[in-house]
Amino acid sequence: MAKPLVIWLPVMLLAAILVVPPASAQSEEFAMANSFYEDKDFGSAIRLYHSILDRGEESATLHFNLANAYFKSGDLGHAVLYYTRAQRLAPADEDIAFNLDFAKQFSRVQMEGVQLNPIRTFFETLVRPYQLHQLGWITSALFFMLLGALTIRISLGRGASWLRIVTAVGLVLLVAVGSLTTFKYRHDFLTPRAVIISEESPVYTGASEQSEIELNGAPGLVVEILSESGDYLNVLFENKRRGWIKTDLVARI
Amino acid sequence: MPVRIGNKKLFWLPTLLLVAMLVAPMAQARDAITVSVTLDRNSIGLDEQALLQVEVSGSSQDLPKPHIPSLPAFEIYSQGRSSNISIVNGVVSSSVTYRYLVIPRKPGEFPIDQIAVVHNNKRYKGNVVTLKVLSRGSSAPDDLNERAVDTEGESKDYFLEAVVDNKNPFVNEQVTLTLKFYIAVQYYGSPELTEPATTGFWNEVLGNKAPYYQRINNRRYKVIERKYALFPTQTGELTIGRATIRATVAGKRKRSRDPFGFDDFFGRGVEARASSRSLRVNVRPIPQENRPSDFTGTIGRFNISAKADKQQVELNQPVTLTIRISGTGNIKSVAEPALPELDEFRIYRASSSEEVSQQNDKLGGAKLFEEVFIPRLPGDLEIPGLSFNYFDPEQERFRTVTTKPIRIMVTAPEGYSSDSPVPYSPPGMTIDSRAHDIRHIKADLGKMQPVGRMPLLSVGFLLFNAVPILALVGSIMIRRRREKLAADTGLARARGAAKIARKRMAQARALARVETRSEFYAEIYRALTSYIADKLNTSPHGLTTDSIRQILNQRSTPEGLTDAVTGIITACDYARFAPASLLQSDIDQTLKDSEEVIIRMEEVKFG
Repeated sequence: MAKPLVIWLPVMLLAAILVVPPASAQSEEFAMANSFYEDKDFGSAIRLYHSILDRGEESATLHFNLANAYFKSGDLGHAVLYYTRAQRLAPADEDIAFNLDFAKQFSRVQMEGVQLNPIRTFFETLVRPYQLHQLGWITSALFFMLLGALTIRISLGRGASWLRIVTAVGLVLLVAVGSLTTFKYRHDFLTPRAVIISEESPVYTGASEQSEIELNGAPGLVVEILSESGDYLNVLFENKRRGWIKTDLVARI
Repeated sequence: MPVRIGNKKLFWLPTLLLVAMLVAPMAQARDAITVSVTLDRNSIGLDEQALLQVEVSGSSQDLPKPHIPSLPAFEIYSQGRSSNISIVNGVVSSSVTYRYLVIPRKPGEFPIDQIAVVHNNKRYKGNVVTLKVLSRGSSAPDDLNERAVDTEGESKDYFLEAVVDNKNPFVNEQVTLTLKFYIAVQYYGSPELTEPATTGFWNEVLGNKAPYYQRINNRRYKVIERKYALFPTQTGELTIGRATIRATVAGKRKRSRDPFGFDDFFGRGVEARASSRSLRVNVRPIPQENRPSDFTGTIGRFNISAKADKQQVELNQPVTLTIRISGTGNIKSVAEPALPELDEFRIYRASSSEEVSQQNDKLGGAKLFEEVFIPRLPGDLEIPGLSFNYFDPEQERFRTVTTKPIRIMVTAPEGYSSDSPVPYSPPGMTIDSRAHDIRHIKADLGKMQPVGRMPLLSVGFLLFNAVPILALVGSIMIRRRREKLAADTGLARARGAAKIARKRMAQARALARVETRSEFYAEIYRALTSYIADKLNTSPHGLTTDSIRQILNQRSTPEGLTDAVTGIITACDYARFAPASLLQSDIDQTLKDSEEVIIRMEEVKFG
């Protein structure tokens, strides 16, 4: 048993070294992409940023810089897409929020008649600065606190007043933070969203080109995906208008 | 004041006269009565009837009834009255409206005058109205006369008629559909209407008209009218389906058998059903000839106006331009007017709204578009006239209406430089008004992580969260066991027997020397007897070698165990009474045997 491990371990290590480039190589490539950006060669910068992403790893800064390059090259749809992805990884980053808002203004179509749900808006404001895993760990810590207090109470066989307080507070906080975590998970991950990336993006009343055009989308508009049928997605706009759009005209966030 | 002191009469007289002069006309004005005469229409057919309304109004609450003169050309029937009282700034005014049904006797043009009221010995005359009566058949066309007769030539009690005002409309031009339910017999409740199918049309109900009467084939019918505005959405021949109406009418039946006549009193009716004919409409396309390039399909008759919310703004501050398109036609289909590309402004569409109204059965209204103009440059700027095209179906030609140009004075803020201007930030956005560009890229790649990683769904995270659950379950189980043992001393002793025996064996091991052999054997003895007594929940003092043998034999003990136990106990007895002959090797052997015996006895089921 020990013998095969002795043989395989160096082989696996070598393979890992060959397949996954070291962090310094990624940094060098990233720096190179940044220098292309500085030289206003946005196309080359985009290609290099993408080559880092294609290796299966991401960071908020990588998405942010890529979005900047897209914005500067005039591709508003992809700029909004990557700013949104960056924001998901670093929701409290002011630079990302600023650039995302800034870019959205340039969308040819502005949503009208947007009526925001005040409860939903309130929850969004609460969870916006946090990443999902941060909320998850806070929920987990409260879970430990609550179950720890219960375990002590059961073990001692009597409830000291401080234990009762800890249990009650732990329960309330757990329900509150747990709800926020669930909301965040649902909002960020369970609700599929996409950004319109194509200049010509007709939205039809049905899932075919023979259907009537409900409205014309524009790059940078964020839509919620309701369902899928063949090459078409049933999408819901911020102003609650909905329709069918071809899959290749949007990019999923 | 030209009066002499001492003559009070002369002082008051002019004053009273003055007051009388001022008050008298007011009192007269307050008592004034006006009589207003109106007709619901100025022209009727000989088989039709008109509604004459006489409104008597004044400050008095006891308004007189009008006197209707003899009118040889008409039959006049009273239709009731309605009154209204209002108090404005403490002044009471009231009015009473008297309604009369006017049925013509002959064709011609007849003035209706001399309608008057008498109040406080004064006669107040109403205005003159003229009613034109057309000759017989002009109001009830032949086909309507035919519709009112069934196949056997008898006059129908009720029938439903559908008519459209235009059978050759353009696409998106309004066609007014009128449903008329004619009924000449008494009916109960409200008739139920099944609306006609209007596939190919955008349909808007205009509403119901107040019921009126019409004479057809010398029979008086009550007419209930409902109108629809239909806008064809496609060209070609379209069909308006049949409408059906159901009503409960007084049935034609034989003499009632009820001697008390309750059948007639409660008016047992029969269900009547009438359907209209389906109608065909030939929809024409809007001509291609002279069609403006930016024509969006709006049809009707419209006007356009534009208004800016301010004439003077600072650079980069928004000006809201409200464009109003109003008129008759399908207002909902009115498209936003084309906005020109302007170097001086950024233009953002803010909102649109519409107000739908109807005039003489024609649907129309106004549509408002709000556009936000952000000046890019300082100076005297102009928003040019905005054009809107529509097709006029009456004239059958395209028309263009244009707004007047609007001048906006744009002032430059302090420290203005002519580099890239700032876009407008809609409400809720967090853009700094001084922002000119996106924020710059970052040099640090940051912490890399696998794409789409979800730490919360990892096995490690879930197992980590299982720890407190396991701890809780464990504590519950321990608690339950503890409570069970506390309630059952026998079980507690049995479960604790091995532990106590191991403790005694440990003490015996410490005494396993020749010098302390008596204490050693005594401890071994206690360990074994206590173990068995604990397992049986009995006292160790009553246990003898024979009773222990008997107890172990009654249970399924491994082979040789009984002998081993009794042998050790016998050895202990012997050692206690003849200790001098025992060597260290005997002590070690006894300790070893005892430890083995204790382990082996754990397999015995004592319970």
